[in-house]
Amino acid sequence: MEEHLVNDDTTIGGEAEDFNEEMSASESESDEDVKLTEPSKTAVYNRDALLDKLGDISWPENVGWIHTLSIDIDQEQEVDVNDDLTRELAFYNQAFEGTKQAYQKLQSMGLPFLRPPDYYAEMVKTDNHMQKVKGRVLAEKRKMEEAEERRKAREAKRLAKEIQAQKMKERAKQKKQDIESVKKWRKQRQQSGFADNSNDADLGFDFEDGKSFERSKGKRPGVSPGDRSGRKGMKKQNTADTTYDVKGFNKGEGKGNKKRKR
Amino acid sequence: MGKKRKHSETAAVAVPKKDEAAPERPARTLLGWKDKSEVNGDDSQVKDVELDDSPIFRNKEKVLVTCSRRINFRYRHLMLNVVSLLPHCKKDNKVESKESKGATLNELVELKNCSSCLFFECRKGKDLYLWMAKCPNGPSVKFLVSAVHTMEELKLTGNHLKGSRPILTFSTNFEKDAHWRLLKEMLLQIFETPKDHRKAKPFHDHVFVFSIADDHIWFRNYQIDVPHNETDKLPRGGLEQMNLVEVGPRFCLNPIKIFGGSFGGPTLYANPFYVSPNQVRALEKRKKSGKYAKKIKAKTRRKMHEMSNPLEPDEFADMWKE
Repeated sequence: MEEHLVNDDTTIGGEAEDFNEEMSASESESDEDVKLTEPSKTAVYNRDALLDKLGDISWPENVGWIHTLSIDIDQEQEVDVNDDLTRELAFYNQAFEGTKQAYQKLQSMGLPFLRPPDYYAEMVKTDNHMQKVKGRVLAEKRKMEEAEERRKAREAKRLAKEIQAQKMKERAKQKKQDIESVKKWRKQRQQSGFADNSNDADLGFDFEDGKSFERSKGKRPGVSPGDRSGRKGMKKQNTADTTYDVKGFNKGEGKGNKKRKR
Repeated sequence: MGKKRKHSETAAVAVPKKDEAAPERPARTLLGWKDKSEVNGDDSQVKDVELDDSPIFRNKEKVLVTCSRRINFRYRHLMLNVVSLLPHCKKDNKVESKESKGATLNELVELKNCSSCLFFECRKGKDLYLWMAKCPNGPSVKFLVSAVHTMEELKLTGNHLKGSRPILTFSTNFEKDAHWRLLKEMLLQIFETPKDHRKAKPFHDHVFVFSIADDHIWFRNYQIDVPHNETDKLPRGGLEQMNLVEVGPRFCLNPIKIFGGSFGGPTLYANPFYVSPNQVRALEKRKKSGKYAKKIKAKTRRKMHEMSNPLEPDEFADMWKE
């Protein structure tokens, strides 16, 4: 399929020719920039005239480097333009090399290279803009840190849960073991017909910590002994002093209907 | 005011291809355009202006930057960024795009006493074309600009002095062919701040990168960031910790045509692989429209096929019919 299309770019001035471009049926790749797969037959390439013009406009050959400040860097391998990372890396390397060479040249010429830290002048981006940039960079850093922290917390929680589960299992096992050992002891005692005294009976036990069986005396851990704010059972109500206390039997004003709104 | 700086002496030093052109050019000894056969690398003497005895090269490049009407906001910001990067430019008002802009622009450049022009032409509010021309009779190039990122993007975090002279780096691909060499020369002259320009700052803290990839010219601008805390101007030994931060803007140029004259003239080069954005869009639309036509065709084909191969009568067709 061949299509003859008039060149859409408007040509200016003395150019009055219309170019017909033949496009092959298979067109290629990228969405922004499509290239013809075979070169258009009507492409002009006037090398001599180009070089002529180059000679016209170029500065004299022995203009010092300080005027052009240009450096040619060798680009080793073909850069794939669609791979953003390698492309940018290639440009960065080119700039890096160029700067190094320029620095050496400038140093050999004895010229100042970098801005001293106390040199204040107008910059190409305003301070406001740089503030925004800084804000954004900080925000990004904070987001990353928060994500890290959240991930760590999640991991830690998972670990802690595992450890907790293990501990519970351990405790249950221990409890079962204890109960089993008591049952065994009782059976033993039954079997030997309660003939032993209590002295010997203690030897049959299998305690880990060596203490006798204890029960806490209603003491709560973490609560001081002088704390009277316990359950109602802990309070003494009907004592000798309260016999003559009749405050509660008088008719209190407005104490009747609790439901009435005040 | 003639801009021909070619001197008959330099022709001998230059590429032999230009020899046949050299005798035709008159020897020019105009003010400021003498050749520099005696100046060596030590440029501290260049500052004094002795026009008769020691030949001096003075870069009097001035760039006129304009745009067309109905330019997009993104491209307008790109133009403003370019204006801030080049202290030797003059920004001018918008130019009407309908009439013959060649003559208009040439006149404008002449009026403003500039030696080159950067014209940002935006068509349909979508495509940006950049014209780079050396006036009055130099070559001109038309580029299609793509992949535009302006300096205002927050991801480009670098900053540099306004007016400091950049270090230009070109990839060696520019030497491979004649048109690349011409483009390199034009880019060099337009983007390099003249040495003794009154707005130029004495330090070099940014780098331009022009490299060719996939037949496009990619432009990047990096800030040179060397942590140095000495107050003297030449930091020593800090170069290993040099870090380049991108300042922007970023764009990618696709050369379309090179003309012999300024905004016109004979075509010296036309990119054989260039497809205009209009054609790209037309192609896509045609592809989409092709879907419906294909569907219709497929339907008729199916019908023909059915008619030519009739089905056997179905035995169980009226099993459920009451």
